[in-house]
Amino acid sequence: MRNAPFVTNYLSEHLADDAYATLDGYQRADGYAAARKAVRELSPDEVIEQIELSGLTGRGGAGFSTGRKWSFMPRDERPALLVCNADESEPGSFKDRLLLERAPHKILEGILIAAWATRAQKTFVYVRGEYAAAAAAVERAVAEAYEGGLLGDDIMGSGFRHEIVVVRGAGAYICGEETGLLESLEGKKGQPRKKPPYPAERGAFGLPTTVNNVETFAHVPHIIANGVAWFRSFGTEQSPGTTLFGVSGQVLRPGLFELPLGTRLDEIVFEHAGGVPEGRKVKGVIPGGVSMPILPAGQLDVRMANEFLHERHTRLGTGGVIVMDDTTCMVRVASVISYFFRDESCGQCTQCREGTGFINKLVDRIERGAGEERDIGILLDVAGSMEGQTICAFSDAAAWPIQALLRHFRSDFEAHLGTETCPFPASFES
Amino acid sequence: MTVRITVDDLEIEVREGRMLLQALDDAGLLAHEIEIPHFCWHPKLSIDGSCRLCQVEVEGESKLQIACNTKVVDGMVVRTDSERVRNARAGVMELLLVNHPLDCPICDQAGECKLQDFAFDHGRRACRSHEPRRTLAKNVAIGPEIVFDQERCILCRRCVRFCNEVTGTGELGVFGRGDASVVDTFPGVPLDNAYSMNVADICPVGALTTRDFRFKVRVWDLDEVDGICTGCARGCNIRLGVAKGAVQRAVPRRNDAVNGTWMCDPGRSSCRAVGAPDRLTEPRLRGRDGRLAPADIATAIEAAAARIRRLVDAKGAGVLAGIASAHATNEDLFAFWKFLDSIGAGTRGAPVVRGASDGILIEPEKAANARGAREIGFDVTGAIAERIRSGAVDAAIVLGHDILDAQFLGGTEALATLDTLVVLDLHQSELHHVADVLIPTRHAAEKDGTLTNSMGRVQRVRRALEPPGQAWSEGHVISLLGAALGLAGFDGGWDAASVSAELARSNPRFAGIELAKVGSGGLDLADVAVAAATASGEA
Repeated sequence: MRNAPFVTNYLSEHLADDAYATLDGYQRADGYAAARKAVRELSPDEVIEQIELSGLTGRGGAGFSTGRKWSFMPRDERPALLVCNADESEPGSFKDRLLLERAPHKILEGILIAAWATRAQKTFVYVRGEYAAAAAAVERAVAEAYEGGLLGDDIMGSGFRHEIVVVRGAGAYICGEETGLLESLEGKKGQPRKKPPYPAERGAFGLPTTVNNVETFAHVPHIIANGVAWFRSFGTEQSPGTTLFGVSGQVLRPGLFELPLGTRLDEIVFEHAGGVPEGRKVKGVIPGGVSMPILPAGQLDVRMANEFLHERHTRLGTGGVIVMDDTTCMVRVASVISYFFRDESCGQCTQCREGTGFINKLVDRIERGAGEERDIGILLDVAGSMEGQTICAFSDAAAWPIQALLRHFRSDFEAHLGTETCPFPASFES
Repeated sequence: MTVRITVDDLEIEVREGRMLLQALDDAGLLAHEIEIPHFCWHPKLSIDGSCRLCQVEVEGESKLQIACNTKVVDGMVVRTDSERVRNARAGVMELLLVNHPLDCPICDQAGECKLQDFAFDHGRRACRSHEPRRTLAKNVAIGPEIVFDQERCILCRRCVRFCNEVTGTGELGVFGRGDASVVDTFPGVPLDNAYSMNVADICPVGALTTRDFRFKVRVWDLDEVDGICTGCARGCNIRLGVAKGAVQRAVPRRNDAVNGTWMCDPGRSSCRAVGAPDRLTEPRLRGRDGRLAPADIATAIEAAAARIRRLVDAKGAGVLAGIASAHATNEDLFAFWKFLDSIGAGTRGAPVVRGASDGILIEPEKAANARGAREIGFDVTGAIAERIRSGAVDAAIVLGHDILDAQFLGGTEALATLDTLVVLDLHQSELHHVADVLIPTRHAAEKDGTLTNSMGRVQRVRRALEPPGQAWSEGHVISLLGAALGLAGFDGGWDAASVSAELARSNPRFAGIELAKVGSGGLDLADVAVAAATASGEA
């Protein structure tokens, strides 16, 4: 690849170029050179080793080491599978959509390298139901790749075989959870599976399966092409590389910004996204999609990498930064977020099924002025009951934002008690 | 291979590779020494892991673990009653109750409701929710036997798994998601299979109840007695719920060697036949006018004995047939066999009605003791009907009315030509038109004895109910008849235990099986036990 070490936008460099979504355009930019290098020059174990050494972490929200995940794949007689999780549904996140629509071949190349490394025979690209354009772009790219000998039997003359199938989801947030995705992929209701067994042992159709996020795959060709040291020159020691920060909310320049992990949140909000409208102040910022705990204005000096965000009791999530200014009613925010989780809970586990609805009802009671002091305590108790006790992390994701809103903005909740007039009348108006 | 684990202060050895709840269940400790409350887990269904009530603390794990899906490993230390565990349970219980209608006073599950029990044992004292509760379908007949209350459902999905995994019929599903999730049937497909009533047994709450039992009687007013279902040769272990002098319901009693935790719907109906209105309640004797008239037992026995003695004296014992019933106990049948030996009657049989089987529980032989009848020596094919039709028989002692089944004799014509017909039966039947002597008998739930199921498991029945009128076990009637005929070994008394002991002594298949030794789970016939021991030795 042509990426020079000083280029910090290796993922997004060509996204403005329409031709980059085509095989020709992608190959003109040295596309598929990394895949060729992998299948011709590197053993699967060497690829896994490179990825593990690079420190690449999953960009879907959990932030687990990609190389280690690949190393969990058992070496047995069963055919192995790969899944590209393109069910991007976290409110505040829109990075995968751009990659799918504008750089589908980069994702396919990442998939090919991962397939080589994990000895997978087939990849399912599971695309969020609402992402029609993204699915069409990936389908076009897959067809071109077959045509160009980059998929199918004997890829690039190496003898390696791989198939890619594009699957459309039906629009459920929970199908972004990897085992919920696998259930949906198998044609069942999207409900996360209890673990163990983990997907590497029994994934899609009972076969060993690795599931990675779209953006995670997109980093892989760059690492293989440019090396571990190059990749580690971006970001922090524990969180190397760049990521695509999607900034939305009350900022002047919302959009997608590719920046090294570890970039300060205030730099993202004020320098890159232009800050809040004149005369307003930042009230709070959600650092990584609505399931991640909010940070108050005073804590924006944090570096955006899990090792630093952890100290502030929050996480990077998907890097979807949501900015709220001082007109925002945090009870209203809690209401919107809790409604989302209530609507999207799959309904298996007691705490999540009942807790998401109970929290939403309690928050709405407070919002409409019918709340009492004790309701705040109940909210915290219920959120506590939902944390760390369920089949998947959805329940935590529903509990954390409420806990954080109460931790940092309890006075907003208290100001609603016994008054039918919202203290923030302009909230959500602009 | 076993591993040693510590649960609270109890150190136990359990099978390797098992999940914690399963391991404790194997060891017979669950709900006895160790209580881990749970809703979705059931020993005979797949693991669901969704109710989250069985969370326990496992040393070395930062999060609480669900006992239903946590593998036991050697040296594992588990706490089931720490403060963290108690808080987690209280949290689950509070959330399970925020949408529950709390209509316990009018709910028929009250008294055996796990939600109620666990709310008292593990929940908070009071409800903290002011929020509106879900309003859903109530009192819906989702099948011929089952009534569904959707509001009370806690979505443990046991019923859904039962229909998927046990019957394979898949009538139930969870529709919607989040707190809009509901269990329901698919449009136009009722819950209608031969095991549908099991979903009411496994439903931990009052969401699924049986049309048959609901609102009949409060469960705390039931006398519950152990029994064996007599509907087919499986011999499912059951518990009869008795109140107001009648069987109000039959539910399965767990026996992993026989029926697991299930029983079929026809079996439940058959158990209700104990108290059917057509039960015989007094001996009857056909008078000179050709009508059956009530008689006391001594008169009835003497009349039967006189007719048999006269015939045997005139024509020899060859003209006497013994038609046994595979509904009678091993002891009854052994007494009958001995009687026929003693008098010298060679024509013997125990016709067993055959029907459909399903590979789950329902067996083709529709009598609880068909295997026992065979083991004692009776031919169960119905060949005896040919002997009667051929005219070689002048008198018959008939136990039950299975012989009337279309496969055997059809109508009563052939029996009408007999000189003497002595009938011992539970219910009124066509035999009444042709019987000379009619003596009421006891149902399996009204007497002591044993039944041998199709797999060769000898199981105990107990005198749990009083018959609706006068009734004697078949063996007792035979003993009276034998004494009246002056046959050796018959004194007119009846003690099932001593007959059982005699059977154990005289028939090697029943070696070692005496009524008193047959516990609640039953004992295998000697050859079955040997076969099982050999098989496990080889394994």
